[in-house]
Amino acid sequence: MALDYKKLGMKCGVEIHQQLATRHKLFCKCSAAMQDKEPVFEIRRKLRAVAGEMGDVDAAAAYEMLKNKVFRYKVYLNETCAVELDEEPPHPVNREALDIALQIALMLNCEIPEEIEVMRKTVIDGSNTSGFQRTALVGLNGWVDTGFGRVGITNVCLEEDAAQILDKKKKSVTYGLNRLGIPLVEIGTAPEIHEPEQAKEVAEKIGMILRSTGKVRRGIGTIRQDLNISIAGGARAEIKGVQKLSLIPRIVELEAKRQLELVKKGRKVTRDVRKALPDGRTSFLRPMPGSARMYPETDIPPIQITEEKIKQIRKNLPELLTEKLEKIMKSYNLNEEIAGQIVSSGKTELFERLAGISEPKTIANVLTRYSKEYKIPDKKLEEMFRAIGKKQVPKETLEKMLDALSKNRPVQDVVKIAGDMLSEEDVKRIVKDVIKKNPDVMKAGRPEKALMGLVMKEVGGRAPGSLVMKIIMKELKTSFS
Amino acid sequence: MYSKKIQALLKKKKIRIGDRVLVKKIGKETEGILMPQTDAGDPETLVIKLDSGYNIGIKFRNAGIEKSGTRQSKAGKEEAEYEMGKTRKEILKLKFDAKKPAISMVSVGGTIASRIDYRTGGVHALEDPREFLHNTPELADIVNIKRFVSPFTKMSEDMEPDDWIKTAKHVAKELNSGMKGVIVTHGTDTLHYTSAALGFFLRNLTKPVVLVGAQRSSDRGSSDAGMNLICAAHAVVSDIAEVGICMHGRMDDDYCLFIRGTHARKMDTQRRDAFRPINEYPLAKIWPDGRIKIKNRDYRKRDDKGRVELDAKFEKKIAMLKVYPGADPDIISYYISKGYRGFVIEATGLGHVPTQARKSWTEVIKRHSKDIPFVMTPQTIYGRINPSVYTNLRILYRESGAIPGGDMLSETAYVKLGWVLGHTKDMEKIREMMLTNYAGEITQRTLVGTFLY
Repeated sequence: MALDYKKLGMKCGVEIHQQLATRHKLFCKCSAAMQDKEPVFEIRRKLRAVAGEMGDVDAAAAYEMLKNKVFRYKVYLNETCAVELDEEPPHPVNREALDIALQIALMLNCEIPEEIEVMRKTVIDGSNTSGFQRTALVGLNGWVDTGFGRVGITNVCLEEDAAQILDKKKKSVTYGLNRLGIPLVEIGTAPEIHEPEQAKEVAEKIGMILRSTGKVRRGIGTIRQDLNISIAGGARAEIKGVQKLSLIPRIVELEAKRQLELVKKGRKVTRDVRKALPDGRTSFLRPMPGSARMYPETDIPPIQITEEKIKQIRKNLPELLTEKLEKIMKSYNLNEEIAGQIVSSGKTELFERLAGISEPKTIANVLTRYSKEYKIPDKKLEEMFRAIGKKQVPKETLEKMLDALSKNRPVQDVVKIAGDMLSEEDVKRIVKDVIKKNPDVMKAGRPEKALMGLVMKEVGGRAPGSLVMKIIMKELKTSFS
Repeated sequence: MYSKKIQALLKKKKIRIGDRVLVKKIGKETEGILMPQTDAGDPETLVIKLDSGYNIGIKFRNAGIEKSGTRQSKAGKEEAEYEMGKTRKEILKLKFDAKKPAISMVSVGGTIASRIDYRTGGVHALEDPREFLHNTPELADIVNIKRFVSPFTKMSEDMEPDDWIKTAKHVAKELNSGMKGVIVTHGTDTLHYTSAALGFFLRNLTKPVVLVGAQRSSDRGSSDAGMNLICAAHAVVSDIAEVGICMHGRMDDDYCLFIRGTHARKMDTQRRDAFRPINEYPLAKIWPDGRIKIKNRDYRKRDDKGRVELDAKFEKKIAMLKVYPGADPDIISYYISKGYRGFVIEATGLGHVPTQARKSWTEVIKRHSKDIPFVMTPQTIYGRINPSVYTNLRILYRESGAIPGGDMLSETAYVKLGWVLGHTKDMEKIREMMLTNYAGEITQRTLVGTFLY
């Protein structure tokens, strides 16, 4: 039986962490690409519980916990410098990252603080060499609209990603420093989601807005979703690491049910951090920690955000992917599936550039399907399409060309494969010729069928069947009219 | 700091920093704790700590501010108070163990003994040894910091010779009051000048004097302050009766180096392991668990007997110069015209200055060396001055009267020259004293393994 979530007093909030696709890290000039394969060396550190830094966490407990723990940090040549090693103060904030974060905040209808203060948020699990994460509130009081109503965006924060955990032993934890410092936006909604489907819609919408910027990282580990769920009489559960958006309604439903069961039995619901499992269930991870201590990062001066700056970013806000999709479907007469693939592949611009030169459907196919199969860089594909131009290429020939291109054959050689192709004019001539030579055919019941066979014999695979048929039909029309 | 205008308004409205306030501005209301503005921020922008913990800035123009009716959470209030430099009550309940060796701490400032004070945007000095104990409880297992003296606190770069003298006086007094040793907390930039000065000023030393600093502020879990202090505590109860610097040996939180004060140099602007021994091995490696590995047997052993003697006579009219291609020796004449009485010159290579060049430093030195000492030190940092391998060296040292500084660090030679001139104006005596080893500042043998140690 479906639950009545309103009656349950269900409250849910979504928190999304998304890496930004900048060249450099947030506070240094290290590459943010995560391309280094092997670490070059390792350093060993300890963290100390510092007076007054633990927020609600018991300082004595933290002290005991850290006393015997060693953190090993792997250093990567292009992706680690003295800043990640906590051996150098942070450099000024990466302006590219800040602009993207501001753009996202504006797209989520947020207010932008007039002065942004970078904060230090205490982290003592070793995932940051400094013992804190640098984070700044860049947007607040925003909203997204859903089919169920408006949901508030409480915060858009620009922060540094944590180091990646590589190995965990009883007394030591090993981290890779290549991920530490990659710019990240954290987006939190108000607990104003009251239906499981709405939670999914919010997450999807925020995800769509993030991707619309074209400046967020894609792939495994670049976006992380958490859910906060409670019911009346229950307690807030933070569910970490939701892998698939399609799972969200199920997770919300099961968590609401779990809390309801406990409430019904008269048991206390504790504030837990739980882990999302692949089937939509969750498992207990740890009790909810107190809020981390947060204090100013004095190594980075506050950042003034002028009205002009906001105006300038507002003026250049990107088109939403949903709008783009509609536009592409209409302008190029594509169905939603293909158009959707182009838009979500992030190759919309390339597609639009090429669609003016060559046949849109072919390009759509190549960009979404073949490019993955053949692993050909966009630049080469573009070069090839420009060389082919308007000429139509049958599927088999196109595949031959892509195959050659993927084997690093030079573009001019590849184009020769298509060069043997007949132009529309050539095909027209052949069709006319065949009709002239076979006047009987025209008397048959369906002349196009017989003509097709005869013409294709002449063409010998040098033109796509669809083109041949199109020309035959045209010719038949003119000869009958 | 806020502008005078904002400060006046806050005063009029009886709003203090740390109060919960409501800031109204064109249709927007922001509620939170009014925080101080740091010196790097805009004085016309209010900084508000939101309930989420984040601070944001609101331009004061066209804004109104009033005390908020809602109550601040206890945790939030404590948070804000701590951020503003208030020592927590529970810290003052901590105690040292009276059975542990009694030592003194002389604090003259530095990152290691401070916290950021947001009221001034500057630093707030720790004023109680219990504050160190709170950050570093391990200290209680090693020492009993019985006395805590802070004659002054200064940024390292603001230190002057008078400050070395004051520091030495207090250290001597503490040593002579029966303590097992003294830990000096100090900023790092000029820590090695102070350590050299204490080396010369404290005669008949029979107990350790350990200078310690930190490269990362102690507000962070990764601060080097804790481990440096723990190792310094082990050093101060050890049998190494020397003045030395005890700080991180590597980037790892593994061990500290205890480096003789006259042979230490800050070799990096920011790293934890910035202090390195130059031209000699460190006295010891010290691990936070108390293990000590002697690396250099050339040290005085503790015997705890006798009184340390303060000998801090110092001539301040001395200067340190560096030669380089194109350097004009006229600068020497300028200094002399201003009453300077001695020079340390950082020479190139084996101890050269421009000699047969168009502008000859050697000639200027020769002109003045009957009354004014010129001590040559290596600008290569590593290695030793050699007065005789090349013709130009022979001209400089044999004919022109320059004093070869051996393998003394320039900084150490500078401190030593001031100390020597504080004792004598006799040129022969000056030369003799500069070449005599008083505080381990000159080594007899160049051990090759000490290079880039």
